Amino acid sequence: MHAQLELLMELQDLRAQSRALAEESTRQFEQEVFELTPDEARATLDAKIDELADELEPAVRTRYRTLAGSMERVVVPVLSGVCYGCFVATPTAWTSRSGPNTQVTTCNHCGRFLYYVD
Amino acid sequence: MKLREFFSADAVELDLKAETKDEALKELVSLLGLDEKSETILVKMLKRRENLGSTGFGGGVAIPHCRSLVVKRLRVAFGRKPAGLAFDALDDAPVHHMFLIVAPPLEVTNPQYLPVLGKIAQFCKDPDVISRLSGLATVDEFLKLLEDKAA
Repeated sequence: MHAQLELLMELQDLRAQSRALAEESTRQFEQEVFELTPDEARATLDAKIDELADELEPAVRTRYRTLAGSMERVVVPVLSGVCYGCFVATPTAWTSRSGPNTQVTTCNHCGRFLYYVD
Repeated sequence: MKLREFFSADAVELDLKAETKDEALKELVSLLGLDEKSETILVKMLKRRENLGSTGFGGGVAIPHCRSLVVKRLRVAFGRKPAGLAFDALDDAPVHHMFLIVAPPLEVTNPQYLPVLGKIAQFCKDPDVISRLSGLATVDEFLKLLEDKAA
């Protein structure tokens, strides 16, 4: 897997966690069961997200920041040839001979970063 | 929704080898049968969640959980450490029973993550369940317990 894609996936997972902690049902559950303080946890996650984003290569970082400014999910899986960001079929012919996820690729339709699951 | 439907026998380990929290997270993730890179990403994410606050909520039980792109559907695993291990639990007691829950960031048709998390938490708060988890001799007994107590 391409190192930049790995970093993007980590960023997306952190974003998903942060977003979940903004939802009332998750906040309540995490607070009641695990005694988590949702706002503090979100602040920690958001700081980590900023820190990791700075580690992206300039071209990837620019695109990441553009997408992150307008979309919740900037890295999405491709399942059965479909981009799970815009749900439009995406080419499955890898641009690299070594297979999927060895390069950073984006959806031709929505521009999101793609992670090929199968 | 029945918890039993989410568990498979190969994702249950009644005698974890782990001696530390980090090792336990790694061993639980290994029960999911993911590729090495996905395992690394997932363990990292679970550790990040634990750094926010322990998922060991007391009574010898922990429910490490997170959402991650590395899974395409909700995955669960169960691990037991009879001797217990330090998990920074809320009650400072050793953790013996660990339920791992991982879901993709987006569940398009049927959101299951929070409901399953809630069901497992509820299941583990039954004192009879904890006592039976400790006494399990086989994986089949674990699956039967789920059928009996988490219908």
